[in-house]
Amino acid sequence: MNLFSSLTLITLTILALPIAMNLTNYKNAPFALHVKSSIACAFITSLIPTTLFMFSGQEMIISNWHWMTIQTLKLSLSFKLDHFSILFVPVALFVTWSIMEFSMWYMNTDPNINQFFKYLLMFLITMMILVTANNLFQLFIGWEGVGIMSFLLIGWWYGRTDANTAALQAILYNRIGDIGFILAMAWFLLYSNTWEFQQMFMLNQDPNIIPLIGLLLAATGKSAQFGLHPWLPSAMEGPTPVSALLHSSTMVVAGIFLLIRFYPMMENNKTIQTMALCLGAITTLFTAMCALTQNDIKKIVAFSTSSQLGLMMVTIGINQPHLAFLHICNHAFFKAMLFMCSGSIIHNLNDEQDIRKMGGLFKAMPFTSSSLIIGSLALTGMPFLTGFYSKDLIIESANTSNTNAWALVITLIATSLTAIYSTRIIFYVLTNQPRFTTTININENNPLLINSIKRLAFGSIFAGFFLSYNTPPMNLPQMTMPTYLKLTALMVTITGFALAMELNLMTKNLKFKLPSNMFKFSEQLGYFPTTMHRLMPSLNLNMSQKTASLLLDLIWLEKTMPKNLSHLQMTTSIVVSNQKGLIKLYFFTFLTSILLTTLLII
Amino acid sequence: MPSIFINIILAFATALLGTLVFRSHLMSSLLCLEGMMLSMFILSTLIILNMHFTMSFMMPILLLVFAACEAAVGLALLVMVSNTYGLDYIQNLNLLQC
Repeated sequence: MNLFSSLTLITLTILALPIAMNLTNYKNAPFALHVKSSIACAFITSLIPTTLFMFSGQEMIISNWHWMTIQTLKLSLSFKLDHFSILFVPVALFVTWSIMEFSMWYMNTDPNINQFFKYLLMFLITMMILVTANNLFQLFIGWEGVGIMSFLLIGWWYGRTDANTAALQAILYNRIGDIGFILAMAWFLLYSNTWEFQQMFMLNQDPNIIPLIGLLLAATGKSAQFGLHPWLPSAMEGPTPVSALLHSSTMVVAGIFLLIRFYPMMENNKTIQTMALCLGAITTLFTAMCALTQNDIKKIVAFSTSSQLGLMMVTIGINQPHLAFLHICNHAFFKAMLFMCSGSIIHNLNDEQDIRKMGGLFKAMPFTSSSLIIGSLALTGMPFLTGFYSKDLIIESANTSNTNAWALVITLIATSLTAIYSTRIIFYVLTNQPRFTTTININENNPLLINSIKRLAFGSIFAGFFLSYNTPPMNLPQMTMPTYLKLTALMVTITGFALAMELNLMTKNLKFKLPSNMFKFSEQLGYFPTTMHRLMPSLNLNMSQKTASLLLDLIWLEKTMPKNLSHLQMTTSIVVSNQKGLIKLYFFTFLTSILLTTLLII
Repeated sequence: MPSIFINIILAFATALLGTLVFRSHLMSSLLCLEGMMLSMFILSTLIILNMHFTMSFMMPILLLVFAACEAAVGLALLVMVSNTYGLDYIQNLNLLQC
């Protein structure tokens, strides 16, 4: 008997302690430092169960408090510590530790910095609840919790209307996904009489498609797949630490995590796998295309996140949930680091976010630019950095599996687009001469900033190796394949790099052309927000208003018979008749004919 | 045939002539239409009562009702023409547009 369960519960309790400080007067205490230290302690205590798992494969379910029983449904507080949650908790805590340290530097001048840290901590707690939940009810609590905290954090600078709109947009799109979640919960309640994972998996070896579609819809909403994706780039209105934590590493992977949790059901249903594959492929290509022409550095990274989420969905679609989970963990490191480097650049250039106004930072900010390059290389899947261990394996599995060829092709295209927009960022931000004003002080020598980015840089380089070689293998990887298939990911990435560098270098010599149609498609995000945000609600509201107030009186009583009749008569008489209105002539000829007939007969 | 019938048929023929041949006012045609209706009513009432044709006792009343509707429609048309042109001269109806 070891300390597995105790340490896990201690980890969760350490995270919740700074919230208890709310009861005391914490205005003068260094609250931010307390929060960061408690997260660091929680990280270290959570490493021990992880190490136990890595060496002995021990998994556990902690079920300690029976809350209530509603007729035949038993609801209790239970934590599922399996392969996924044991590995995810330390990764999330490590990334959050670095982000907390970073935001101590970034939000230094904010008067509400204590509230900011409190919100971030509450987000982290709800994310932990989501990840360790053993029943759907607890997962739903975590699910809604991360949604609420996302709303509060995106709208942090609430004086700005764009921020409020973006926060509301995030809530609305997530709500549409929640419909799917509730559908799945209701179906499981009716047909399996439970919300516990173990019983659900035992009873549903050959599952019906309905709950799986509900879960896919929930993942589409939370993980910004195509159709419910516009909230993610809009969520960049929040401060950079929020973007780094929520919208790159932790919250947006909640949808994918949900689908990974349900892998025993999804591996038996081919239809849902195909749906996930196609949805993920469309998402990854579309968002990568949109990232090519954006000018805001945070939006490019946000679209990059969205594209990687599509890739994770593709991985679920080819029935490789463990690879998807590995990609989640790896992606957290380098994406958070990319956001933090962007935050460092933005703050140092006096809150400038447009890459067309940056440049020449290679010599001015060496540390940030090196970590930016490390992050971009890890993102594109450079061999033996972090991204390689998950991304290359995903592309290999997709290439060698019996899958939808179209989805495969557009995933490969999206992989090369990843290289292209990463090169674009590096070219515009780091190289050439500066395009910002000369009165800016660039100083990145703050230990808070340097240490946090350094930690994540180490993670970006080594975490992939570390995780891949220490976790027990869950399925057989494909060992033999032709050389050209093995090198596919590398080849498309190198093609993307070369193409992007060529095009970027050519821009110094070409004259400015007006944007082509393809450019406009990419710039306006595929016209999706432009058409859908106004058109659909206004159609719905107009139709419902007309039905409610005008249908009975105006239409049925007035327009159906009388107006229709008169309108019909007028139209037909105009169209049909060719008379000239010689009424007296017509009457006279009538009289003559009658008289003639009478005379002939009598 | 009793001579009263010839009298009334003559009245009908005069009113018919008045309906079909008129000079400029549409109203005169409508008035003669009413005259036609009146003579038809008297004629049918006399014949039906003389022959004790009980089943058709309703017919003149029916004729009256429908003639009233028809007169209303005619007057409505007259009012429409009068609204557009000021008078009901028949030479105004030359366009056949609405």
